[in-house]
Amino acid sequence: MSCALEFENTTKEYRSFLGGRRFRALDSFNLQVEAGEIFGFLGPNGAGKTTAIHLAMGFMRPTGGSGRLLGERFGHSGTRRRVGFLPENVALYPRRAETLVRFYGALNGMKGSHLDKRARQVLEMVGLQDHAKRNVSRFSRGMLQRVGLAQAIVNDPELLILDEPTSALDPLARVTVRELLLAARATGKTIFLSSHLLSEVELVCDRVAVLHLGKLVRLGRTADLLQAGERAEIAARGIGVHSFAGAVAQNGSVRFSVPAGQQRAALERIWSLGGEVVSVNPERRSLEEIFLEVTSNPVSPPAKDTP
Amino acid sequence: MKPVLLIAVNFVREQRWAILVLLLWVLVLAFLGLATDAARQSEDLLFVFKQVAVYVVAFSVFFGSSAIFNDRRSRRILSVLSKSVGRQQYLSGLVLGMSMASAIYGFALGVTGSWTLGEAGFPVQQVWFLMLCLVVACTLAGSVALMFSTFLNPFFAAGATAAVMALPAMVSYTTGSAGWAYVIPVYQLAATVLKSSFDSPGKPVWSPIIWAIVETAAFWLLSVRIFSYVDIAVSVE
Repeated sequence: MSCALEFENTTKEYRSFLGGRRFRALDSFNLQVEAGEIFGFLGPNGAGKTTAIHLAMGFMRPTGGSGRLLGERFGHSGTRRRVGFLPENVALYPRRAETLVRFYGALNGMKGSHLDKRARQVLEMVGLQDHAKRNVSRFSRGMLQRVGLAQAIVNDPELLILDEPTSALDPLARVTVRELLLAARATGKTIFLSSHLLSEVELVCDRVAVLHLGKLVRLGRTADLLQAGERAEIAARGIGVHSFAGAVAQNGSVRFSVPAGQQRAALERIWSLGGEVVSVNPERRSLEEIFLEVTSNPVSPPAKDTP
Repeated sequence: MKPVLLIAVNFVREQRWAILVLLLWVLVLAFLGLATDAARQSEDLLFVFKQVAVYVVAFSVFFGSSAIFNDRRSRRILSVLSKSVGRQQYLSGLVLGMSMASAIYGFALGVTGSWTLGEAGFPVQQVWFLMLCLVVACTLAGSVALMFSTFLNPFFAAGATAAVMALPAMVSYTTGSAGWAYVIPVYQLAATVLKSSFDSPGKPVWSPIIWAIVETAAFWLLSVRIFSYVDIAVSVE
């Protein structure tokens, strides 16, 4: 599978005006986003997520290393015709929503009735069809974010780079955006999604990467990461609730969790006590737990759950 | 070419209030034309015409020095440059937008000047040549300001532009050497407007116009070069 977005040992340092103070926002960052996937890009504030996105979009130059966007080096303006971008804080010119979306579409070389039709279509997709003639300067933050999303998808991009797309949206609008992303993936689009809303990421992303202090600290398939728990949850019948530490009685069975390495011994103990095993499931962790785990530790080399 | 035109029109639209304020001065001239006897008050009308004309040069410096800053501060630049728009196209759009803004003003002043001064006996053809000088001077002044604004904040960019435009003019004035006036011919072009009179309306001299167009292109190239290294997503505050 080809790479839609690739960072190759990318480093970005910010320097003060006279070059005295330096801050390394991104440190030898390597990442490959495959075509056709929804990729979640996570990290605490100041981790370097937005810097990485801005480098990919050509808004700034890397201090070291390089990268490719749809096969072309970062900063190639022609490639951006195939890319949709939603910045973290949407800032738009004060125009009517439809005029604005047409303006951004025209900047990408779209024209005529195709552009008019597409502008109306994308505003409908983000639920703003009734506000198309209103000036965006009177829009709420959530509505602005939706116009921002509309301008990002107006050119039907192959790669969609979204920096916090749902941060200002209400739950209903979030569902709309989620459906939009899933529909885009179904048509083969690649989506690079930077977000703090871990539950959203957990729901839609095929793979996730966690960035911390400019370094990649976790990368893997979402499903694998969530199930890579080192504990198993066991439910059994016919044993006492005090037979295992931390066990609780629930719906006629006793439930408890044990480290994966002690799973076999626990099962044998249940049988030896005359009990019956109802279920054994690997304990599923939330993305939030993983996020907190990797970002609370000092930075270490990335743990890759998949090659 | 289309993105350049779109950015230029967008720039004019963004600056519409400043342009309207400028056009109020043209209205003042029109009012004087209506309220006074053009033949008897011709010198006064020409004085107001020349004064109103040179205001736009200062506005062009203001437009040029603040255009990038405003787009970066508001972060609107990210939505524009995330499209298939190169930085050179973005800067071209701004230069074209500044030219369009000054051309709108030049056209309005040209129409009013042709009517008021023409009635007083000033050659109408020369009025339009003066307007051409003015628009070219504005475009060059705006381009110099734009170049400085790629790496300076608007205040310093405007100051640097004023210094770059004024120094050769001052040297030319003090030494009497005409060559210095051509270093940055904004002064030369503005002087063409300021020195015109009913007795000596002047005749079209094209060399400062051609030189100014060449310099505008040179400053645009320099702006593109510098701007290609600028981290545009970094806060300008």
